[in-house]
Amino acid sequence: MEATAPVRGERERVERSVDETGRSKSVTTAVRGRRQSSLLRIRGELGLGWKIGLGALGVAAFITLWAVKAHLMHQKSVLPTPAATWSALLELKSDGILSTDLWASLQRVLIGYSISVAIGMVVGIAIGTFASVEAFFEAQIGFLRYIPATALTPVFLLLLGLDEAPKIWLIIVGTVFYNILMIADVARAVPRELLNASYTLGAGRITVLRRVILRHSAPGIIDVARINLAAAWLMLVVAEILAAKQGLAYQVVRAQRFRAVDKMFAILLVFGLIGLASDVLLRWLRNVSSPWARP
Amino acid sequence: MTALDVDGVSKVFRRRRRDVTALDSVDLHVEAGELVCLVGASGCGKSTMLSIIGGLDEATTGEVRVDGERVVGPGADRGMVFQGYSLYPWKTVADNIGFGLEVGGWPKAKRLERIDELLGVVGLTDFKDALPRELSGGMKQRVAIARALAPEPDVLLLDEPFGALDAHTKRHLQDFLLTVWRSLGVTILMVTHDVDEAIYLSSRIYVMSAHPGRIAEEIDVPFGQARGPLIKRDPRFLDLRDELNDMIG
Repeated sequence: MEATAPVRGERERVERSVDETGRSKSVTTAVRGRRQSSLLRIRGELGLGWKIGLGALGVAAFITLWAVKAHLMHQKSVLPTPAATWSALLELKSDGILSTDLWASLQRVLIGYSISVAIGMVVGIAIGTFASVEAFFEAQIGFLRYIPATALTPVFLLLLGLDEAPKIWLIIVGTVFYNILMIADVARAVPRELLNASYTLGAGRITVLRRVILRHSAPGIIDVARINLAAAWLMLVVAEILAAKQGLAYQVVRAQRFRAVDKMFAILLVFGLIGLASDVLLRWLRNVSSPWARP
Repeated sequence: MTALDVDGVSKVFRRRRRDVTALDSVDLHVEAGELVCLVGASGCGKSTMLSIIGGLDEATTGEVRVDGERVVGPGADRGMVFQGYSLYPWKTVADNIGFGLEVGGWPKAKRLERIDELLGVVGLTDFKDALPRELSGGMKQRVAIARALAPEPDVLLLDEPFGALDAHTKRHLQDFLLTVWRSLGVTILMVTHDVDEAIYLSSRIYVMSAHPGRIAEEIDVPFGQARGPLIKRDPRFLDLRDELNDMIG
């Protein structure tokens, strides 16, 4: 059998040391293993300073790239500069357009998505808890989830007219199946030993469902709601582009008609900011409501 | 008086190809105030037996009786402790211990009194407001034992409760269990694969053989109640240990 050679370092390292006479000299030492860079270590930890610094650098790089690209464009009306976008945003705000349209869109998402999460909770927990409910829903949800909800837009418009109802329905249909299936997984993740321990403490099924399964699932449900919220905004935009008299996406379409690209970009900025805010809010809610599940 | 009777219990798992007999007419009994261990190699069906006694699993034939009454489902009269992961992670130590009392409709004043008493028994009074994630493995199992004891069960069923602990903590908790058993006089049936643990703790041992799970032997442990770590060097302890290890294989 061949003797295994020890793992060598990639190269001999040169280290500086000070000898007895106080003079600095170079010493070459052999090393074992490979040193890993602290920034590119796989699953490495990063100090807070680096995190904030790199984050800021990323944002700055994005804005710079955007600004450079906008200045180099021949046709200024296609890509506005960051500064132009910002002033358009302030203008929209002072005109009051922003608040009415923002509120209209926000209201649709809040109503539609709340209904979707509520259905997702009830059906999802039932599926994750009872094999009978799972058997009943499995085939139909497996089928329905693959129908693109956007393909249903014309159907909803036909059936429900042009007011709020079809928009809210579209948001529900576009998100509810993801919510159901992901919340079912959350409910399945409740350890069996936790359920068994509860039964042997005298808890009945309703108590176990309410005080163990639901409680254990709470942080997971908030996470699911946070992740799928992006799909709710997607559905809202589709609905508002097709038929709306106000709303953020309606303003984007309107701005396009007037070739006001700075306004279009300003509204895209608003979408991003809302997403960021809701993400932060839901993470906070999860940590405050379930400090025990904090990573 | 017999606290727990297992009478000809068999458990057959119906599989697609063939049926698997996990337990084959198991008989065992535990007297009131006794501490009995059920030992066997992994997969011999000892945990299934405990689940059936706890009412979490159903026997295919045979029956389990506690104080002469037939077991048909789980209940607080048979407290159970599992290997791990069974504390409510969102509840403090005190609320974990109190859950069975809350569910059992104990009035609040009595509940708090009982929680305080048990916190003292398991030595966790200073940790009553801590969450399980802040506790060590040994402390968690002490909470689990206190929680199972809280509703004053007739029998305490332990399913490899120290199996996931390191050797030092394990020894510590074995002595702790003996203290609890002596001071409260509870009836305990404990499942373990650790022969030393079984001899050290129990007054009687049931040895199970696997495929199908049967009681191969019933052994009286020749040490009285007043036992301590010294018995582990007693020649009878060592002989019994070799004998049991041979049996389990």
